[in-house]
Amino acid sequence: MASSSSNLISLKTSDGTVFKVERALAKTMKTVQAIIEEADANIYMIPIHNVFSHHMDMIIDYYKLSVAGKSKEFSVEKLDNDELKDFLLAVHYLNMEDLFEVLTQAVADRLEKKSVGYVRKYFGIENDFTPEEYAAIRKKNDWAFKGDDIEPEEDEEKQEE
Amino acid sequence: MEKMTPLYLPIELITQILLRLPVKSLICFKSVCKTWFTLISNPNFANSHFKFSESTQTLRILSISAIPTQIRSVDFEVLFNNHSNSLNPNLSLPQSYFPLQIKGSCRGFIFFNCSSNNYIWNPSTGFCKSLPLSPIGSNFGTYSYLYGFGYDHSRDDYLLASLYPALAADVSSHLEIFSLRDNAWKEIEDTPFPYWSPYHYPKLGLLFNEALHWFVSRSSSLVDVIVSFNLMERKLLEIPIPSDFGDYLLDIGSWVFGEFLSLWAMRNRIVEIWVMKEYKVHSSWIKNIVLSIDTLPTKCFFPIYSTKSDDVIGTDDGSGLVKYNNKGHLLEYRTYCDDPRGSQVVMYTESLLSLPGDHEQV
Repeated sequence: MASSSSNLISLKTSDGTVFKVERALAKTMKTVQAIIEEADANIYMIPIHNVFSHHMDMIIDYYKLSVAGKSKEFSVEKLDNDELKDFLLAVHYLNMEDLFEVLTQAVADRLEKKSVGYVRKYFGIENDFTPEEYAAIRKKNDWAFKGDDIEPEEDEEKQEE
Repeated sequence: MEKMTPLYLPIELITQILLRLPVKSLICFKSVCKTWFTLISNPNFANSHFKFSESTQTLRILSISAIPTQIRSVDFEVLFNNHSNSLNPNLSLPQSYFPLQIKGSCRGFIFFNCSSNNYIWNPSTGFCKSLPLSPIGSNFGTYSYLYGFGYDHSRDDYLLASLYPALAADVSSHLEIFSLRDNAWKEIEDTPFPYWSPYHYPKLGLLFNEALHWFVSRSSSLVDVIVSFNLMERKLLEIPIPSDFGDYLLDIGSWVFGEFLSLWAMRNRIVEIWVMKEYKVHSSWIKNIVLSIDTLPTKCFFPIYSTKSDDVIGTDDGSGLVKYNNKGHLLEYRTYCDDPRGSQVVMYTESLLSLPGDHEQV
């Protein structure tokens, strides 16, 4: 089945599932769009690495909502932190502007009032400050760590792991 | 279901996430690791972040009370949704900077004066720099005068303005501008400033449409006008006030109501709010709201901020913030400061910006 004569584009995810999506949806994926434009002949199937079928399900949900003018109803609340990061990477790979905005904002919202320790765990980052350096930065910016709504920091000793 | 959970996000993704965080979180997250410290302290990041959040940022109030010296940064939403009566001081400046007088705010920086020094301070980053006093200023002493603080984006330059009014009909007035980039005061010679301030206390210029605005009187005729100083063109322009503005006013000020230049006029029991629907067009002035200030303990009110639903929020020149709706009905009253003498108040935004030419990491 040649994809050029229909309005559907076939996308194959990393886990082997084929999704037939509307051309308009494929257009929101700049990476896919570039592949289509670069191909001399018509492509039957476009493989999308790093993207799994559960990602595509959510992408299609978002697309349907935004076509209906209801993109604000799209929610990633049910995703845990790793799932959200994972989805963000997939959308980043596909280079989808609107959805990328939504997801980066969702991650930012989750991090906003969290402690430094939480953020390190979230991104898998090691603390490379010495205790003295860390203490100096904390002292200088003490105001930012205060507030009823902010998660308290762990003790300095716990930072060295 | 096979799932890849890479632990590391590439730095450009992390940057995109960080751009969407508020300044306070970013200051905290400087201590996550050295890479993040460098990234967040980078002036380019600060510029991108400022541009990104410019339209969505809530304005905040900075309140500085004298005895004891306390500094509070107040978010309007939080204050009016919060049921506790006052907020704890949450910012600090070394004691040597007090007593101080706030003279303006722009792009996250506060311009203040202490003893005989001028300072520019970013409360979010803690950066504070002293600036020279104007040469004329040192001669004039502490005469009441007009001043302002603004930004010229064509040169990425911050400007301070100092106006020494004509004290008599035959004495000339002086307009001086300090450019941060040039690090020098310069008198605007070919722009005479034949105005004086009708009110005997220093008045801060309103930054609007890239110009500073002051309510003044022409010294020759005592006609009141608004004078605007365009920061890019460095030119003065007169803007007429409403024809039926009236007399016997206790105080007058300018502020921004929604997207419009607005004048407020305080009389004995009321405050009138006038709005210029079309900038610089005299006939477009309308008297928008009349508020009763009788019930306020201080019998005083200066509007400073309008919400998206056109509610008017202002200070009672004491320790409280007052909210009226656009029909003039008093909606809410909240105190934010314990000092009954009140505090100096200025609107500001939070920013990570550093001054052009300064690459000191904060």
